[in-house]
Amino acid sequence: KASVSMGEVGKRHSYIVMGPPEDLRVDGRGCEDYRCVEVETDVVSNTSGSARVKLGHTDILVGVKAEMGTPKLEKPNEGYLEFFVDCSANATPEFEGRGGDDLGTEIANTLYRIFNNKSSVDLKTLCISPREHCWVLYVDVLLLECGGNLFDAISIAVKAALFNTSIPRVRVLEDEEGSKDIELSDDPYDCIRLSVENVPCIVTLCKIGYRHVVDATLQEEACSLASLLVSVTSKGVVTCMRKVGKGSLDPESIFEMMETGKRVGKVLHASLQSVLHKEESLGPKRQKVGFLG
Amino acid sequence: MPGDHRRIRGPEESQPPQLYAAAEEEGPAARDPTRLRPVYARAGLLSQAKGSAYLEAGGTKVLCAVSGPRQAEGGERGGGPAGSGGEPPGGGEERELALALQEALEPAVRLGRYPRAQLEVSALLLEDGGSALAAALTAAALALADAGVEMYDLVVGCGLSLAPEPAGTWLLDPTRLEEERAAAGLTVALMPVLNQVAGLLGSGEGGLIESWAEAVRLGLEGCQRLYPVLQQSLVRAARRRGAAAQP
Repeated sequence: KASVSMGEVGKRHSYIVMGPPEDLRVDGRGCEDYRCVEVETDVVSNTSGSARVKLGHTDILVGVKAEMGTPKLEKPNEGYLEFFVDCSANATPEFEGRGGDDLGTEIANTLYRIFNNKSSVDLKTLCISPREHCWVLYVDVLLLECGGNLFDAISIAVKAALFNTSIPRVRVLEDEEGSKDIELSDDPYDCIRLSVENVPCIVTLCKIGYRHVVDATLQEEACSLASLLVSVTSKGVVTCMRKVGKGSLDPESIFEMMETGKRVGKVLHASLQSVLHKEESLGPKRQKVGFLG
Repeated sequence: MPGDHRRIRGPEESQPPQLYAAAEEEGPAARDPTRLRPVYARAGLLSQAKGSAYLEAGGTKVLCAVSGPRQAEGGERGGGPAGSGGEPPGGGEERELALALQEALEPAVRLGRYPRAQLEVSALLLEDGGSALAAALTAAALALADAGVEMYDLVVGCGLSLAPEPAGTWLLDPTRLEEERAAAGLTVALMPVLNQVAGLLGSGEGGLIESWAEAVRLGLEGCQRLYPVLQQSLVRAARRRGAAAQP
């Protein structure tokens, strides 16, 4: 007598795939719900701005350092951003040694893409003197723990870190011979803050079976063959779109996923803005949670 | 980025001549937003590669070669790096385009038939006259088909760009000039018979979701229109092979 039993993995796969049409996922969320997000800014003291985001088991740390550099030749009146992503070996054993480099480059390239337009960050505020000096913001992303949905968490952390960034105010003094001198203001609190109103956030929609879900866990990502990554601002303007994964997508699915991305993105931005403003209003006396909380 | 030590270093204070160039000439002429440039596609032209294809559309010329399947170093997935030469700078952009190529070609290839094997696809961009990634995608799919790799369907790529204000319309198959002045760009890759989107990559200030949706639709239509040309080129290549094998 032969009996066939579906292994553990097989059962889990079928729960994950059969749930979304009923708007039910393994952890009880709906298809468009995010996991609980914790955001904390100003966690690293020797940066110009920093933020830490915990999205379920995904943990991201972003630090922004503002340094003076020369503007790019084709954009002499603007500063610029440089992104670097480090996939730490703590996140998952696959990142040991050079393993995380490919993923790090992919994420960095995606970040360059989503910020590659005039409206995301007002780069003119980063200019000190045209063609000679400008502020360069080095955004360093550190992946501490990988629990699925990396792109979304990273984009939230980058937005929070840019919100937290304060760039010292400088003045350019020119003396009689024409040589320029840059003077830093005496007051350490005299800074420029960046406006992050138009900074986009990434929403990744994973296609599972016939439906798509937002904020997939690692197990859900393993069951999904293709995802659509949409980078959307708080006003609903899309700055980047990318299909990720080995599978293909139906054109109708793509249009549905784009609509969902826009809807979810708006809600995400609204709640992120309110949390960031609330945290800032607590002032320097607020209780810092840091890494032990 | 590693420095280019083979080039002669200029003086410390040099400036590129473009900074002092006279005001730019008129923008590209207005044209029908749905026009596709005439395409020349030829499969099976490199003797040393398992499969190869050459695609020319307007000023864009791409040559693609496929080798393998050979034993993969670790990992069971088929696939492989694509390198693109020609004008684009630096490793970063090439890596990104290589990844885009891989992600668009994987859905079309029956990777299950090549366990523990690796297929290498290398695309050489001889000249970038606009929509380079789309042309590379199409050439790569043709080369894979020419190599006899088992596939579900061909992959056809199409580029689009959004003309800047005030026109603000999406243009199909842009030229280099149109791409440079564009506010946003998009490349779509479609498997025409299955009607499945194999790849999508776009960025810029495209505006609202509806605008991007319209662009995707336009791109998919363009891909469908290109398909017969590619079918013919594969049939011709097969006939040529047959004729060469006969005597």
